[in-house]
Amino acid sequence: MSELSANLPPRRDRFRWLNSLWPWLCAASVALSVLMLAALLTLLAVRGLGHFWPASLEEVTLRSGESFAGQAVREVTLPQQEGDERLYFTGNRDIDGARWRWVAVDEIARRTQPADLIRLERTPWGDFIGRLEAIEQHDQRWEGEAAWQRLNALLALPISQRQDSQLLLTTTNGETLRQPLANVVSAQAPNAMSAWQKVHAWGEGVWRFLSEGPRAANTSGGVWPAIFGTVLMVILMSVMVTPFGVLAAIYLNEIAHQGRLTRFVRIGVRNLAGVPSIVYGVFGLGVFVYGIGGSLDEWFFSDTLPSPTFGTGGLLWASLTLALLTLPVVIVATEEGLARIPEAQREGAVALGATRLEMLTRIVLPMAAPAMLTGVILAIARAAGEVAPLMLVGVAKLAPQMPLDGEFPYLHLERKFMHLGYHLFDTAFHGEDVQAAIPLVYATALLLVLIVLTLNLTAIFLRHYLRRQRGNEC
Amino acid sequence: MARCLISWVWFANDPDMTPPRLTTHRQPLRLIKDRVATGLITAGGVGVLLAILAIGVFLVWETLPLLAIGDTLAMAKLSPLAWGTLKAAVAALLFAIPVALGAAIYSALFMSARLRSRIKPTLEMMEAIPGVVVGFIAGLILAPWVERHLASTLALIIWLPLSVGLAGLAWRLMNKKLRRRLPFSWAGLWLVPWLALMVALALWLTPWIEQQWLGGDLRQLLDQRFGMDYATRNAMIVGIAMGFAVIPSIYSLAEDALADVPTSLIEGAQALGASRWQALWRVALVAAGPGIFSAVMIGAGRAVGETMIVLMASGNTALFSASPFEGMRSMAAAIAIELPEAAPGGLTYHLLILAALVLFIFTFLVNTLAEIVRQRLRRRYRHLGGS
Repeated sequence: MSELSANLPPRRDRFRWLNSLWPWLCAASVALSVLMLAALLTLLAVRGLGHFWPASLEEVTLRSGESFAGQAVREVTLPQQEGDERLYFTGNRDIDGARWRWVAVDEIARRTQPADLIRLERTPWGDFIGRLEAIEQHDQRWEGEAAWQRLNALLALPISQRQDSQLLLTTTNGETLRQPLANVVSAQAPNAMSAWQKVHAWGEGVWRFLSEGPRAANTSGGVWPAIFGTVLMVILMSVMVTPFGVLAAIYLNEIAHQGRLTRFVRIGVRNLAGVPSIVYGVFGLGVFVYGIGGSLDEWFFSDTLPSPTFGTGGLLWASLTLALLTLPVVIVATEEGLARIPEAQREGAVALGATRLEMLTRIVLPMAAPAMLTGVILAIARAAGEVAPLMLVGVAKLAPQMPLDGEFPYLHLERKFMHLGYHLFDTAFHGEDVQAAIPLVYATALLLVLIVLTLNLTAIFLRHYLRRQRGNEC
Repeated sequence: MARCLISWVWFANDPDMTPPRLTTHRQPLRLIKDRVATGLITAGGVGVLLAILAIGVFLVWETLPLLAIGDTLAMAKLSPLAWGTLKAAVAALLFAIPVALGAAIYSALFMSARLRSRIKPTLEMMEAIPGVVVGFIAGLILAPWVERHLASTLALIIWLPLSVGLAGLAWRLMNKKLRRRLPFSWAGLWLVPWLALMVALALWLTPWIEQQWLGGDLRQLLDQRFGMDYATRNAMIVGIAMGFAVIPSIYSLAEDALADVPTSLIEGAQALGASRWQALWRVALVAAGPGIFSAVMIGAGRAVGETMIVLMASGNTALFSASPFEGMRSMAAAIAIELPEAAPGGLTYHLLILAALVLFIFTFLVNTLAEIVRQRLRRRYRHLGGS
């Protein structure tokens, strides 16, 4: 027995070659993480920005003789069968009853890209794809190329001045349609555009996405109210969280007796950053909305009860909840900054006769200011991306009124507001035509990621820069 | 008079110099200001801390009425949710722990310092990507894609590690010049295109293999042979998506713990004849063990509480099933969906708040444990005469 085992190499040595494999798996983990991150960001950037590029329109004739016009979206291999299937966006919901069409690639007889195909964006019924025959205004009539130029001229005017114009449109299968110009938002003839015109149209599309409100149940239009709501909520939140976070950090680090209790409190505060955001949402709903909001309604707004004023989710409660959520972030960052200030600075200040207040305001706080700023930026980044608690305390699918307007008292804290993250969730999961909304969801997701990443990068660079500066000083 | 004038001229010429002041006890205003400010700061600080404490108090207070009802109903309502939460968290951790720890080991011990200073912030940036974006990609893009390419996805899970072994073998066989151009300390970067290539290869080949050996459709096979249902949004999708979200937090903490292991320990082990990997496996990992444990704990806490990803990628069906191809409903997702509709004071309301309390206590305990372990570890390193 002992002889036998002496002949064989020990068990561990036999698997020694495996040892040189492990480091490679570890290296691959890094590569995999980087790959996933890069894939996610590329996907968002390509789809989010690509949506605004004027896609060319195709006129498709099938073997059956039927023809239609649309934008090719994607191709899928058929399960269990040979051949591919292609999805076309055809628009014209008022005529065909549907906006999408799947066509087997084999059935397509001919595909062309005629330059006179146009795409109109309309407020009811969504997009129209077809040809422009004529424009009628009063008794005047324009046809052909003149009609297209007249249309572009009219679209540049405000809606009130293009009341009585009518468009005569035909689809590719010969149906005609009279379209009042007042309902048309924009017009494009992408097949006739030069590359430069496409770039221009792309820029215009991005700008409209950022500056306009949503249309057609959030499936088209822009996200301006959501951007506005997010920014306003985040500003309110930082106004609330900064002073309190800094106060608590100063108390913990400079005033409280440094003992066992302070250490426990510090661990507790640090751990609150790890408590799920939804728990804060529950707290916000129970205490702020139902508790405080309900009482406020009873005391001050009893004439409008039972319809609640403050007793329902709103801007104030949402920003308060998020302030509570981000409080640990600010406290921890500020405390780190305070702890890094050399004790000699404080002692020096006190030795020169400063009171504690003077030492804090003239020596300690200016030195800790960058750390505080970092904390606030991190808090903003966290709040901008947080959605779950907002679903409980006041975000709205579609807010009829902006929370900030010209009506007294200008800032309406009780109103519901729109939020980029929730807008994304709602459009992607509760929309009526998810297929049509997905490009916009991509664009919204890209915007949200850009905002959050920019804020985080700012915080990182700020911290890095200031640490280096501080390093030179000491 | 003259002295006064001289001192005035002196101070006027040197703006940095302030005139000597009276001592504080002769300036009552300054003293009072200081007292008031200290009082205010104390009040503010204590107030903030109390407000934080109020979260726990509120949650406990609102669940008290449940005691009167008895716990059978609560259990019936909450146990599928608890199961779903557990399933989602386990799925996420199964994906995240190997990847995150592997990445941490590589970047703390093998990676070149220059690459590390770039890669680490990049991976930490992953943490900042909002859950709602990850959830959207997982639920609407990844889930339907995986449903159509199930065989390819499963093949990728096996093929990627194998292909990495292949890369290691190929590297060993390369000539020295090329090997110097692609050093192992930069492998984290140059393996990225390799992996992308391998993914493409697998996606290109698997449909053919599936056609040859599995009769065309793996999903059908699963259903017929094993009776497994396949839901589009399932635990596997949640695992991948939430794993993606949890990787950076585990990675960052574990990497810190490993990088802080005193180099003298590893060098000592290598001096005694251990290979680099042995030194790492038997010395560095053991020394950093508590830190890695706390990293995993914090990752688990995050996975349990993550709301949006589970909400969007899981299908939200409250099922008791261990199948990775079926959905689940987690406590956090249930709260987000049901609480706005629940009447305040009603049974559902209290039950959901109980769920929130469970989440709160769980994450708080886990994080506290992790924090205490980490502090102890830091003390141990200091004791070992670390860096």
